[in-house]
Amino acid sequence: MNLAIETRNLHVYYGNNHVIKGVDLQIPAKGIFALMGPSGCGKSTMLRTFNRLIELNDGARVEGEVLLFGKNIYSPDVDPIGIRRQVGMVFQYPNPFPHLTIYDNVALGLKLNRLLPGEKIRERVEWALKKAALWDEVKDRLDDYPSNLSGGQKQRLVIARALAMKPRVLLMDEPTANIDPVGTAKIEELLFELKEEYTIVLVTHSPAQAARVSDWVAFLYLGKLIEVGPTRKVFENPEHELTEKYVTGALG
Amino acid sequence: MSRNIRRVKERAFLCGVALLTALAVLPLFHIIMTVTVRGLPEVVSGGLRFLTGTLSEGGIGPAIAGTFLLTFLSALLGLPVAFLVGLYAYEFPNSAVGRWTKTLLQIMLEFPTILVGVFVMQVLVVPMGTYSAIAGTLSLAIILTPYVAVYTHEAMRQIPFTYRETSFSLGLTRTRVLFRVLAPMARRGILTGGLIGLAKVAGETAPLLFTAGGLYESYPHSVTAPVGSISLLIYQLVQSPSPADHRMAWGASLVLLLIFLDIFVPIRLSLREVKL
Repeated sequence: MNLAIETRNLHVYYGNNHVIKGVDLQIPAKGIFALMGPSGCGKSTMLRTFNRLIELNDGARVEGEVLLFGKNIYSPDVDPIGIRRQVGMVFQYPNPFPHLTIYDNVALGLKLNRLLPGEKIRERVEWALKKAALWDEVKDRLDDYPSNLSGGQKQRLVIARALAMKPRVLLMDEPTANIDPVGTAKIEELLFELKEEYTIVLVTHSPAQAARVSDWVAFLYLGKLIEVGPTRKVFENPEHELTEKYVTGALG
Repeated sequence: MSRNIRRVKERAFLCGVALLTALAVLPLFHIIMTVTVRGLPEVVSGGLRFLTGTLSEGGIGPAIAGTFLLTFLSALLGLPVAFLVGLYAYEFPNSAVGRWTKTLLQIMLEFPTILVGVFVMQVLVVPMGTYSAIAGTLSLAIILTPYVAVYTHEAMRQIPFTYRETSFSLGLTRTRVLFRVLAPMARRGILTGGLIGLAKVAGETAPLLFTAGGLYESYPHSVTAPVGSISLLIYQLVQSPSPADHRMAWGASLVLLLIFLDIFVPIRLSLREVKL
């Protein structure tokens, strides 16, 4: 199987706090891989090791390996900047830059990284907004600021911002946690379209969402990987008692 | 019954607070009123001559020019330094140097300004053998820098962490994240800090006493020559025994007040518009 991300004996510490405890995980390329588990189980931390964003936290320490398409991104010769350009990220709270227009929000990464000549940027912005299913809603107000968009629209704008960089992997940290049900449905619909071309790693605390949208699912509990497999199998026939409790709602 | 007592207590407390608040802001209104009442006739009767003429012509033109020159030059010198220091303190809060920077900025904020003047006199005025605009500029810049740096630092700290994460997740370098994304995001706060710093130094007197020298009979023409300022002129005029000089000092005070309010009021108004 073609792997997008693989972790080998991954440990993460915040100071003395051992948050991820020796996780071995294999995430196949293309499709939606859900990381589910109760709050505080280390899902978001784990996600942030996949693009080395974890290093923004001063106290965080990572041990073990994370392989991105076969290459260990924690080996000393790897520049995290280059890694992050291949790995887009969407956050829990819809966070378009409030001081930039809708257009500039999408164009920012391309402009500041000088990835594209000026005239190509406009095409790419349009492409990304179309991909994120937002183009029709914002095409007449690209120069407006994002403050007037709804939560769901803001989140799709943020997805467009990540897509504009043409990443190979898209990390999503509970992208619908702060979105109303209609917006959530639209974003889940969008995920279905994107998964044909991208590897999506979706962190969610909702087993229902994992069951609805993902192809594979991993269950994380207190920093340990309890179970992983095709979504159907994990939900219909879990091997571990904890997993069964979690998916049936008996575990917070 | 007890309900009435509670009400009376509440009333009494509110009245007390209102009274104390009024006492606290009374001096401000008193200053504005007195300066206007006593300065306005002088400015009006002097007219353009008061604003542009030299001291012997009955005007404070060179002092106004000096204040603008000193404020402008100290901004030119101090603002970039302050901006960078503020960003540094924000970006490296846990490094030893970063922690020291923050502490030292706090001390500099409260540092007696006259000592800054004494310091600059030692390092510039004595070696050069003359008071000068650059000496005045340097002491004002030293006072301006911590203000603006602290404001910059605070403005940056207001930015939620998620924007920092987002910027890095787009594969931007630290420099670009800081200068091209986060600093522009905090631009309003940083700008406010800059203007407050300007308003502060535009009215400073003590640091200029031993550095700027004073120049009131001709307009400033060189940065290595002495220069005047409105605040310095007021200080000198008030010490004179002549009532005419006192009247002139009131007029100069009004001009200084207007310059200060011109910088300060827009800041306060613009602050209300901030939305994140």
